[in-house]
Amino acid sequence: MAEVVFRNVTKRFVDAKAGGEVTAVDNVSFEIPDHEFVVFVGPSGCGKTTSLRMIAGLERQTSGDILIGGRNVNKVRPADRNIAMVFQDYALYPHMTVRENMSFALQNLKRPRAEIEKKVKEAAALLGIENLLERQPKELSGGQRQRVALGRAIVRDPQVFLFDEPLSNLDAKLRVQMRVELAELHQRLGVTVVYVTHDQVEAMTLGQRIVVMNGGRVMQIDKPEQLYNHPANTFVASFIGAPPMNLIHGRLEQADGGLWFIGGGFRVKLPEQRNEAYSPYINRNVIFGIRPEDISVAGEGARPEHTIRVPLKLVEHLGAELLVYFVTGETTSIARLHPESGISVGVPASLCFDMRKSHLFNPADGQVIAVG
Amino acid sequence: MTNATVAERPAGSLARILRATGEVLRWAFLLFWAVLTLVPLYWMIIGAFKDRMAVTRMPPDWIPHPFVLDGWVNLFKAGQPLLWMFNSGLVSITVTLTNLLFATMAGYAFSKLRFPGRDQIFWIFMASMMIPGELTLIPLYLLVTSVLNMGNSYSGLIVPHLVSVGSIFLMKQFIQSLPSSLMDAARIDGCGEFRLFWKVVMPLARPGLAVLAIFTFVGQWSSFFWPLLIANDTAHRVIQVGLATFKYENTTDYGAMMAGAVLASIPIAILFVSMQKHFLKGITIGGLKG
Repeated sequence: MAEVVFRNVTKRFVDAKAGGEVTAVDNVSFEIPDHEFVVFVGPSGCGKTTSLRMIAGLERQTSGDILIGGRNVNKVRPADRNIAMVFQDYALYPHMTVRENMSFALQNLKRPRAEIEKKVKEAAALLGIENLLERQPKELSGGQRQRVALGRAIVRDPQVFLFDEPLSNLDAKLRVQMRVELAELHQRLGVTVVYVTHDQVEAMTLGQRIVVMNGGRVMQIDKPEQLYNHPANTFVASFIGAPPMNLIHGRLEQADGGLWFIGGGFRVKLPEQRNEAYSPYINRNVIFGIRPEDISVAGEGARPEHTIRVPLKLVEHLGAELLVYFVTGETTSIARLHPESGISVGVPASLCFDMRKSHLFNPADGQVIAVG
Repeated sequence: MTNATVAERPAGSLARILRATGEVLRWAFLLFWAVLTLVPLYWMIIGAFKDRMAVTRMPPDWIPHPFVLDGWVNLFKAGQPLLWMFNSGLVSITVTLTNLLFATMAGYAFSKLRFPGRDQIFWIFMASMMIPGELTLIPLYLLVTSVLNMGNSYSGLIVPHLVSVGSIFLMKQFIQSLPSSLMDAARIDGCGEFRLFWKVVMPLARPGLAVLAIFTFVGQWSSFFWPLLIANDTAHRVIQVGLATFKYENTTDYGAMMAGAVLASIPIAILFVSMQKHFLKGITIGGLKG
């Protein structure tokens, strides 16, 4: 097993249509420790798959260094990097049986036949696909193909497993099942895993750490709960979480012995313990962030300085919860409320913010204003 | 019965009549087309069993009368049909095999590998398809005979056709439709480019290869003009050129020619019957999604 290190890695493509170069990955650095399950997440074209392909050696970086297990692999071909990759479309060789698919890599390495046979059997047993070994990929279901693709990776005993959106071709039910199996497999094998997805649920449930990318840059690397509760910038705040964090533009002002956010047609008082951190931003524009679940219907004990009265646009009943869309200036914000909140469209509602869980971002660069 | 159904009835039967007429017309057209295609073949076969005078008689005898084997006897007496068939077979098989190999290699490179000037080279290749063969015939003839010194040899028949741009285009189109992730997987699985090509690309390109093999073989087998120019000695004569030797200064031995033509059609007929499935697939292969 091994750690994976990116040092100032940049990848530029020549794009003939755009008439110039496109930067897919822009000066990215990170370290993935041994045994860790790291998920790369981000919108299409954010550079996550390119990063994965550079680890695999399928793309050569324009500049920077990539290390696997302490070894610089800049000039090492994919086969010699001791990695295995599971592709989005599984990439099973259609003209080979499951057994041949799984043993192909070991045959290329000229391993003894007995060893190949043993490893294929072990991997097949681990994944419960012993009865499929003589079948062709076209005779398998999506889930079975997925398992064979995993088996093909496992037989190689790689240092690092690379997954490129491996669950995106499965139906919703099977995806949940395979997600659990992948997590179990990681625990059992204890390998380093780099996993790329655009699905934040997969990212949050599978990743021990998550790398959020956008526009070729790393936006934040952190544990899932940290990422959710303490986003480093507005991109992460709005990308992680469904519905996303409400972001409302406004100003920070000092009044009545405290700091207030004024914007979106309301004003709320910020927690006093953050006054020092926020003071440089007094009388400046800021972005106020609060997650939908940190908003509740104002009850009797609600603090008036944390309560706003707003017109409601829409109420969605999801069974276990209500999604309430309310007007905040020119934008619409969302609150996730209890289904028996007694809220209805057309009547202005009093909503209370849990200000301890609020965030302020600097509109100039979108970065969170740190509170120590 | 309601008024509406009463009113619909004549309209319904009219539609049925129109449909039936359409069906009859369609079958009549197809039948006509089939006859048009088969008559020359039938004429060729019966021509091989007619005497010299009967072959060109108008209106033709649709059944050979008298039924003679003069054409066959003359074919073997005046010509060397077995040698010609061997020559044609050797050239056609060799050219087919080289086209399969080189066109697949080039098609793979043009569709899946990235290298400087790839698209430019490909378009230069494509542009060369627009130049009529007649234009390049004389330079090619001079090159092969004077520079390469391959006149009257198998090399002269084979080398200019080792791979054609059309073959490359066909295989590029086909290989482009294969998922690139298979090649990536093979690279990770430890394949060098050559092993990847041999173990992954070639087997997956099999349907494309079958089509290319049929087209190339048939094209070479029925090729006449180039073999006539380049290999006119008796040792390297191919069947199509051999048949033309039955056209003398003042007369033509149609009986022998037809007998030879029947002989020459046998390999092609066998090929078509045995690979009919692939041949039909080949007609649609150009439309594969890229």
